[in-house]
Amino acid sequence: MNDLDRAIAQLRACRPIPEAEVRELCHKARELLIEEGNVVTVTAPVTICGDIHGQFHDLMELFRVGGDVPDTNYLFMGDFVDRGFYSLETFLLLLCLKVRYPDRMTLIRGNHESRQITTVYGFYDECMRKYGSANVWRYCCDVFDYLALGAIVLGAANSLGDRPQQENVQDDVEIEVCDHTGSIMSRFQRQLDDEESMTDNNHSHINNTRGHDGSSASPVVTSVTRGARGGGAGDTGERTGPPGSGASGSSGGSIGNPTGAVLCVHGGLSPLIDTVDKIRLLDRKQEVPHEGAMCDLLWSDPDEIDGWGLSPRGAGFLFGADIVKVFNHRNDISLIARAHQLVMEGFKEMFDSSIVTVWSAPNYCYRCGNVAALLELCDEPSGTGLFARSNGDASRSAGVSSNKGVMQEGDAVPRSGPARRYRVFQAAPQDSRGMPAKKPVADYFL
Amino acid sequence: MSDLQRAWAKRKLDTMPEPLSLAEEEPAEEETDFVPDLPEHLDDGDSSSASSASSASSTGTVIPSPSQRLFARPQGGARSWEPIPWTTYFERELFLEQDLNGDASSSSPSPPVSFPSSSSYRITHHVYLTSPSSQGGPLFVTHHGAGSSGLSFALVSAEIRRLLPNAGILSLDARGHGSTTVTSSPSTPEPPPLDLSLETLTQDLYNAILLTKRQMRWSQIPPLVLVGHSLGGAVVTSLALNPRSLAPHILGHAVLDVVEGSAMDALQSMHAYLSTRPTAFPSVESAIEWHVRSRTLRNSLSARTSVPSLLVPDNKNQDVAVVRADPEPNPTSSTSTPAPPSSTASSPSSSSSSSSSSSSTGNQRRPWHWRTDLAATQPFWEGWFAGLSRKFLSARGGKLLLLAGTDRLDTELTIGQMQGKYALQVFPDAGHFLHEDLPEKTAVSLVDFFRRNDRSALVLPPKVSDLLKQGKKV
Repeated sequence: MNDLDRAIAQLRACRPIPEAEVRELCHKARELLIEEGNVVTVTAPVTICGDIHGQFHDLMELFRVGGDVPDTNYLFMGDFVDRGFYSLETFLLLLCLKVRYPDRMTLIRGNHESRQITTVYGFYDECMRKYGSANVWRYCCDVFDYLALGAIVLGAANSLGDRPQQENVQDDVEIEVCDHTGSIMSRFQRQLDDEESMTDNNHSHINNTRGHDGSSASPVVTSVTRGARGGGAGDTGERTGPPGSGASGSSGGSIGNPTGAVLCVHGGLSPLIDTVDKIRLLDRKQEVPHEGAMCDLLWSDPDEIDGWGLSPRGAGFLFGADIVKVFNHRNDISLIARAHQLVMEGFKEMFDSSIVTVWSAPNYCYRCGNVAALLELCDEPSGTGLFARSNGDASRSAGVSSNKGVMQEGDAVPRSGPARRYRVFQAAPQDSRGMPAKKPVADYFL
Repeated sequence: MSDLQRAWAKRKLDTMPEPLSLAEEEPAEEETDFVPDLPEHLDDGDSSSASSASSASSTGTVIPSPSQRLFARPQGGARSWEPIPWTTYFERELFLEQDLNGDASSSSPSPPVSFPSSSSYRITHHVYLTSPSSQGGPLFVTHHGAGSSGLSFALVSAEIRRLLPNAGILSLDARGHGSTTVTSSPSTPEPPPLDLSLETLTQDLYNAILLTKRQMRWSQIPPLVLVGHSLGGAVVTSLALNPRSLAPHILGHAVLDVVEGSAMDALQSMHAYLSTRPTAFPSVESAIEWHVRSRTLRNSLSARTSVPSLLVPDNKNQDVAVVRADPEPNPTSSTSTPAPPSSTASSPSSSSSSSSSSSSTGNQRRPWHWRTDLAATQPFWEGWFAGLSRKFLSARGGKLLLLAGTDRLDTELTIGQMQGKYALQVFPDAGHFLHEDLPEKTAVSLVDFFRRNDRSALVLPPKVSDLLKQGKKV
């Protein structure tokens, strides 16, 4: 353990550890990961993060904003490596933390955790540059094959927990967006009380237009006491962050009712996967295939379409709101958290908050100008609340739909989201990183 | 294989005098590049030569020097620079004539849009064609980059056919390139102006597709996959964005190694680059050799195919925009069927004969000039690439970007890629002409791209709303 702590300290300083230590670390990590199922069960509270892409200094910023390990329980949804200049240090640090604090750190696989992708997008070259051989890259790729494909978060509360520094926390706040200092940028309340949404069938038909009808169903933003914190004048009711922060995460809030589980996966759903159990049946210990369920889970994207669509990426699929709704209903899931797509505002909820994209690489590739976000799910403060209603299996919940099993047209579909706190943060200051010089442009381009 | 070669090279080097050690990688390359006369059988050897060549570049030891001759195999012909005729790769060539002042001589079904120029010119589109199968294969329409020619896609077209036997390939020469000519009509005395604007080239591509359909008497336009390299990438993107009557037929567009941001950056250094190229060559073979030795093209087979069409002999140089390089009289919308490589019909093999004739008349040391004066196209450069990233993302249909390096992505396409708006493939081993350097890999990508976007084959799982309508439980 002493060695491990020393390796963590060295990696935190962004200095690579010797090849022999990498080998040992990867060996230990594999032993640990092989025991995990394809879908890891995690209990709230947990902080969920999206793509990192080797932006080491921004990962440090993330830990500063979200709390350090092991104080905070983290779940990273893949794409640790490639594109950034410190893929190696980033991945090894996360892996060290996983080995050191296995219960406080969950890593699932992204589409970049693959031999083929890393040879093209930078991780392989970085390993060659820093070690002079491909051995370290090979050790890491062997670990990639053992990473879980998804995670189920249980016991997330549907109210945000106590925040000692905060006066006046309301139980009905469903979504809270904070900046990197913890100041609240905006809040969204639950839109309907539980009884109504469970009994009122009409709401399934107006899901998509709900934001426009102006009634009680439209998103409500609490005007919080901002004063010195908020910074901007007249921004109380807006869904944007303080001026200059560039933060305007979009979320409409969901209809409240008891909380189901949260499924975390890097990309999205697959036409071959209709239950979480089918994910559990996959043989994951392989290179990410070009097609099939495992590929889709890591490559697909939600889109404003009906049903399934062709993904422009060349792998995986596009899936629409109806697919998510049916999947969540069948598996007693209230929210799918995924990464994979760059969101300029750091996070984006879609389809009545049945799915959210979380992106944790600020100023992606050191030039895209986006902010990053992480998602905090709280546990029930009293400890008595909605714990473990579901583990993602159909009909196992004691909740509303246990006696139905299937969805009929006209069912009240949306399940409640758990209370969600998004922390939005920006890239670490430029001077804290030694950025390699830019490559010269190619000389011939006609 | 490469280990073996290295061992062989080492052994060889041990017996060599000191100074030659610099050229360590060369012998291996020399050997793998040995090509028999039948190009089709060579692809394996050739692709391995590309990779060994790239490793040579990484050590920076490519030094063309007479001493390298020492490595030539005694039985001769270790590396051939002999041109390969287009007939090896395409089924036929077409010359498609068209007047440019609007009243189309070609009375095509959907008449081409009128041109801004007031005087009347006549353009003869020259295209290489391999027809798709009559049972409805796709047609890959390829557009080369500035200074290149339709034969740039020769090797990749053969690879596409190998993977997808019912596919067709239409590779055109853009105006001012290859054998496409613009001539003044008798009533217009002044020579036609050089117009290589993006709109004009896009219109040319559009016209060439329609004229080909008419010429070939196709009952309908086959499903199209547009493929463009460099400038050609801008042209196919422009057509995909505004396809007019072709809209229902275009499955997608693939752009090869051009990105707005990096292209714009590179434009500043273009003149410096152009000034380093030779302006003329003593022979076609020496031009092929230069392209390979300078690593402009890293695949000698492709260089032997495409380079001859980039050059014109000197005595015709004063009027290159008008006169074709070959001695054959210009047929009107003629179709020349495959001729044996030795035939005289407008194939590059005829270049040797014209070469000898021009050298006998001109008696110059370097009678072969570039067909296209790239420096003269400068006024159009920015227009080619401005807004390319936005257009690429907003055009309908599938989108594929093939790059020789990830560092070529600009911010807009970096964001677009990470939002999953298009497919990206990177060939770090290739040079700018990645489809010539790695025809096999490029073809695999293009065929996969077609297969994914093939509407006739696409079967998606049913929509939830449809299932509900059928009364099914979901």
